[in-house]
Amino acid sequence: MPYSKNNVYRDYFVRRFGIPVDIMDNYEFYESTSGVWAFSGAKDIDLSKLDAEVVGIRALRVSKALKPTTAFLRVVGHYATKNVVQLNSEQALEALNGIDIEGVCGSLHGYVIIRTEHDVLGCGVCREGTLISQIPKKYRPDKTWL
Amino acid sequence: MKLEEYRDIIPNFEAFLEAMQKPQPYWIRVNTLKISEEKLISRLRAKGFRFDKFEGMNAYRIVSMPVKHPGATIEHSMGYYYVQDLASMIPAYVLNPRPGDKVLDMAAAPGSKTTLMAQLMENRGTIVANDTRPNRLRALGSNIERLGITNTVLTKGDARTKKFVIYFDKILLDAPCSGEGVFRKNPKDKMPGLREHLYLSNLQKALLKNAWRHLKERGTLVYSTCTFNPLENEEVVSYAVDKLNMEILKVEFDVPHCKGVARWRDREYEHVHEYVMRIYPHLLDTGGMFIALLKK
Ligand SMILES: C[S@@+](CC[C@H](N)C(=O)[O-])C[C@H]1O[C@@H](n2cnc3c(N)ncnc32)[C@H](O)[C@@H]1O
Repeated sequence: MPYSKNNVYRDYFVRRFGIPVDIMDNYEFYESTSGVWAFSGAKDIDLSKLDAEVVGIRALRVSKALKPTTAFLRVVGHYATKNVVQLNSEQALEALNGIDIEGVCGSLHGYVIIRTEHDVLGCGVCREGTLISQIPKKYRPDKTWL
Repeated sequence: MKLEEYRDIIPNFEAFLEAMQKPQPYWIRVNTLKISEEKLISRLRAKGFRFDKFEGMNAYRIVSMPVKHPGATIEHSMGYYYVQDLASMIPAYVLNPRPGDKVLDMAAAPGSKTTLMAQLMENRGTIVANDTRPNRLRALGSNIERLGITNTVLTKGDARTKKFVIYFDKILLDAPCSGEGVFRKNPKDKMPGLREHLYLSNLQKALLKNAWRHLKERGTLVYSTCTFNPLENEEVVSYAVDKLNMEILKVEFDVPHCKGVARWRDREYEHVHEYVMRIYPHLLDTGGMFIALLKK
């Protein structure tokens, strides 16, 4: 898959979530047909020559708007200072299970980071006061889990 | 039984056979890129897990657990830990990748050692992690994503011939092997015969040769397998020393282990056997592992 470097995506995380620039400077961003990938490895490697299948982890999906991934938010999300929704542990389980939660968004609108006191759970979206979990199904806990 | 042929090379053979019949305990390692050891272990303890820590290492043997599989927790799905046999962690520690290094992991899937190395490198430097099999590469990709590893590039190719474009400070060749050391885990697997050992031995030599091509001068390489047969171990390391002119260094790591095999059938490995490390199931209640450290 061809990857090309484009660091404008760094600003998205700074502007949208208030993640400090020096944290985001650890990453370089690469575009491919399947989204935008964040890579914290050496800056002097020519990835096109290496014929990379995957570079770092996917940070954003690109359609009409940019949509941050749960996987990358779980890496940098604890540095966020805005557009964060804080849940208690009961609500957290609901969010992990893909259940909408009312009354937790306040005035927030658009993509948010879902957190609890200790964990970054991932990506959500606030629409008219309701939090709609965007956490992928593969991260849903099974009933038998603890 | 096939393992009988190792009676003369495996010390305390009866204890070895006994350990091979018993199920293998689970070990976990905390993903310190995401959470501290103390925090994770106390969270899992509160859920009813009991652990034995291996002193001096981020490795915890599960003594008992309230779930069927050690990965059946939210903490696992959050990428806070990885289920990995203690013996399988050691090759990564012996290679000792540092934050600025460029590291090649030639046969990397599903990434137990890749992800541990990324942890030792604090997500800095670069790992190129390669495998041939698409489904195993996908498993590697999902482990990398779950653990939040961002310093790794995945490539797909036959590592005997692939050109990795750059030269590496360190290379891990955790080679495809007959896997006799993990039969405890997968007791239904078929024991390999001589033909398979010979075939794998040649494959391993070819992989090692391409690893050598991609290593910087004075760079180091760890060769490891999870099998007992000397044709896949000392034989391959001898090839590196005799044919590729690599220097063999002593594997120093503080775990109970045995040295290598000096002689096997008509083959003689006197010049390497003191340097390499063999870990057997009866030493630490783990899987089996062979580890050698080579320098260009
Ligand atoms: C022992 S396993 C690696 C385990 C891995 N290092 C870990 O710790 O999770 C060996 C791997 O070698 C891969 N393999 C087999 N032949 C190969 C080749 N010619 N080039 C690259 N990888 C190969 C297999 O698909 C398999 O995933």
